[in-house]
This record gives sequence, C-alpha cells and structure tokens, in this order.
Amino acid sequence: MAYIRMTSVDLHYSALGLANRSLKGAALDLLARGRKPSRRIRDIHALKNITLKIGAGERVGLLGHNGAGKSTLLKSIAGLYPPSAGSLEVVGGVRALIEISLGFEPDATGRENILYRGLLMGLKPSEVRALEDEIVAFADIGEFIDYPIKTYSSGMQVRLAFAVSVAVSGEILLLDEIIGAGDATFMEKAKERVRKLIECSQILILASHDFTSLQSMCERGLVLHRGELIFDGPIAEAVETYSALHRLIS
Amino acid sequence: MGYVRDILAARYFWWHLALSDLRSRWRRSSLGILWSMLQPLGITILISIVFSRLLNVSFLEYAPYVLSGIIFWDFFASNVSGGALAFVQNEPYIKQCRHPLAIYTLRAVLANLVVTTVATLSLVIVVLVLKPETLGWAWLGWLIAAPILLFTAWPLATALAYVSVRFRDVPHALGLAMQSLWFISPVYFDVKMFRSAGLDGLVDYNPIYHLLELTRAPFLRGEWPSLANYCVSLATIAGLATLAIVLGRRMERRVLFYL
Repeated sequence: MAYIRMTSVDLHYSALGLANRSLKGAALDLLARGRKPSRRIRDIHALKNITLKIGAGERVGLLGHNGAGKSTLLKSIAGLYPPSAGSLEVVGGVRALIEISLGFEPDATGRENILYRGLLMGLKPSEVRALEDEIVAFADIGEFIDYPIKTYSSGMQVRLAFAVSVAVSGEILLLDEIIGAGDATFMEKAKERVRKLIECSQILILASHDFTSLQSMCERGLVLHRGELIFDGPIAEAVETYSALHRLIS
Repeated sequence: MGYVRDILAARYFWWHLALSDLRSRWRRSSLGILWSMLQPLGITILISIVFSRLLNVSFLEYAPYVLSGIIFWDFFASNVSGGALAFVQNEPYIKQCRHPLAIYTLRAVLANLVVTTVATLSLVIVVLVLKPETLGWAWLGWLIAAPILLFTAWPLATALAYVSVRFRDVPHALGLAMQSLWFISPVYFDVKMFRSAGLDGLVDYNPIYHLLELTRAPFLRGEWPSLANYCVSLATIAGLATLAIVLGRRMERRVLFYL
C-alpha cells in the first residue's frame, strides 16, 4: 500500500542559485571567508520542520498563500527537491501533474511529442502507442496533431500536455491546481478526467485555491504558512483556518 | 550502480530524444542528412588548397588528413558546447520528472556521434578515391573508435554541464579554451610539424592526438592504432568518468536549484 511519511523535513533553496553565479564571486567569497559577513542573499527556508503521514485512501487538500510552500511540498514528494534535513519516505508510484505545460520539442509534431512525453513519464514506446488514439481524441486539436508544436497556440499546447499527463494514473497523485487552461468545454472534460484519475489512485494531494473543488474532492486539509504546517485536520476546518489567516493578513 | 540502472530504465526516453534531435537537424532541408557529409568536405577543400600551398605539401595527401581532423573536432567541439548547456536546455524535463541528469548529456552526445558517423562516411569515400590502398581489416578499428569516442565525450559533457549550471561564465570561457586546445593539437597541422619543432610533448601527452589516431591510423594509413593510442584513450575515459562522478555526487540533486 502506498504511503508518504515526512519526519521533521526542512528544505532550503540554495540561494547560490539566485546570486553569485560567477567564478569571480566564488573566488572572492573564498578570500573573504572569516571576515565580516557580506550582504549575501540567505538561503530560502521553504519548508520548516514538516512532520506528517499520509496513508492509502487519503484525499488531501493543500492550502496556503502564494509562496507558502505548497508547490515545494509537492515537488519534494515527487522526488525533485531533496530535503536538507529530516527524512522523507515515499512508497508507491508517483504521478505528478506539476509544470505540465513545459517541455515540448518545438520542431517535432504533436504525435512525436506525445511519444516523448509518455517516455518522460516512464512509459514504454508500445504503451504510449496503445494510448495514442485516446490522447489525440482527448486533446481534440484536430489536424494540428501532425504539425510541429511550434505552430501551436499556448492553449493547444496545454491541452496536449494535459491529455498526455492524465493518460495514465499512479498510486500517488500530485496535482498543482486542477488546470487553468482551455475553454469551458475542455475544462469540464478535464475535470471529469481528473476525477477518474483520482478514483484510480490510492493517495491524492491537491494544492488549490478553489475551496469548492477542495471540499468536494478531499477529506483532509493541510494549511501551510511561510513554510510551516499550521493546520492538519478535516478539510472544512482547514478552509476555515485558511480563511481566518487570510483575513488576518489582509 | 543505482544510477546506472536508472539511466537504463530511462533508455527509451533519451534514445528517442536523440533521434528527435537528429530529425530536427535534417528536417526540411532538401539535402538533409547529406549536409552532414558535404559540410566537412567543403571546408576540407578550402583548407587543403590554402594549407597545401602554405606548407608546401601535396593537396591529395593533405586533404584526407584535414578532413579527419575536422570531423573529430566538430564532434569534440559540439559536445563541449552542447554538453555545457545540456541541463539548461532540458530544464522543462528536469523540472517535471526525476531522471538521472546524465541522460540529458547522453542525448546530446549520441546525436553528435551519429552525425560524426555520417561525416566519417565522407572520409571513407574520399579515402577510397584518393588512397584505395589503405582499405583493409584495420578499417574495422572504427567499430572500436566509436564507443571510445562516446564514452570520452559523455563524461566530459556531463562534467561540463554540472559546472556550467553553477557557474554561467563557463560556457563562454569554453570557447576560448577550445580555440587554445585546437591550436596546440595536431588537428589540421601534421604531427611531423610538431615533432620537427621539438614539440613532441604536445603530441605524445595529448589525449586529443591519441583519440584522433583511432580513426587516422585505419583510414589514412591502413594500420591499427597503436597500443599507446588505446591506453591513453582508455585512461582519458577513466579520468573524465571519475571527474563526472565526483562532480555528480556533489551536484546531482542541487542542479534544480541552479536552473
């Protein structure tokens, strides 16, 4: 059975990634070591001492302001960000719908990109081919499917990316907002598909600002505030906590 | 070991991306793949005409030498420049899914190796016309040279990618470094010129010379490369692989922060 266990997880973004990319800067730092602390950007403390356990069958909503650490939490569960302290244990196949609109080969056709993206997600070529017709039908972008991606509008790119990403489910499903693209019909279709994905998964973690979908899809709610887990309990109470926090700040 | 297993597990992904790179390189040009043969040939003719006059050597003798040098250098230079940018260019994939980062340099190196193999066909044709007497079993040496080139270029590109993602000046500095390397290596200039000037060190201790010999000995002279050529090439692989592994231990999980 799938589960996620985080014990006192801390995560720092290396500020080096934001500043001081030059060799000169690194050399100067080496020279200046031990002298007065220079005005350096400090590492961003994105997750602070997070402890939680999520077991099979749980549907968890993630609330928090922009920059509260929702995406960071999802990305560390997906294995993208390494915790800087504490332990993180994820058992089960993870399917993460994170930054899905990124990453196409612009010169290749839509069909070719279906293949690449399917392989990126760990499928075999034969498995992608078996799903291809279904993906093409779902994306519903007509003859453009055989045109290079660079001729696509951004809406079409998102539709295709979404269609591939939801073609297969995983035991642990991570969603960063349900979807924010496409026209009303596509949105409706996409929501329907996500519901199906959720049914197939053992664990869902959904980060969202949309209280309605959070309350209809999740039972448990986590509220993050500046990297800290400030509430963990039933989703209705989580929404209340978050709203109260919101009023307090604004 | 787990790392190698993950690379193999993602084999369909990097293999198809490499194919995609080749397709987009040759797509929509009427000569397509032929360009990879014609381009080094064109430069060779130009350089050989000028240099054979300057250096007072026979054009027909010199042209295959220059061509083999150009083909190797194109491979080397495109892996250095492409490798340095590999993580930056594959950022969308790196941000979405956790795969070993070395697959992104492998993608670039594999595509380059295929281009080099196609270009080597032009060398084969030139040699068959100009020096058919070199045709022999030693030509099979290419089958050993190709994997050696792959496993030299891959760790080199990977090490450069780790460093470049952290220090964004590096890709710029590499251009300068490559020009210097070109200048002190027997790429266009004959090995004899280095030796007669007393610069044996630039030949014997230069991995580039030994790697060049892996194709030059068979195709230009019909001989197998020497044991020294193979030993230095393998030692270069070992050195570069160690460097890439050491850098990877420190950097692999942190690359995402630097993108």
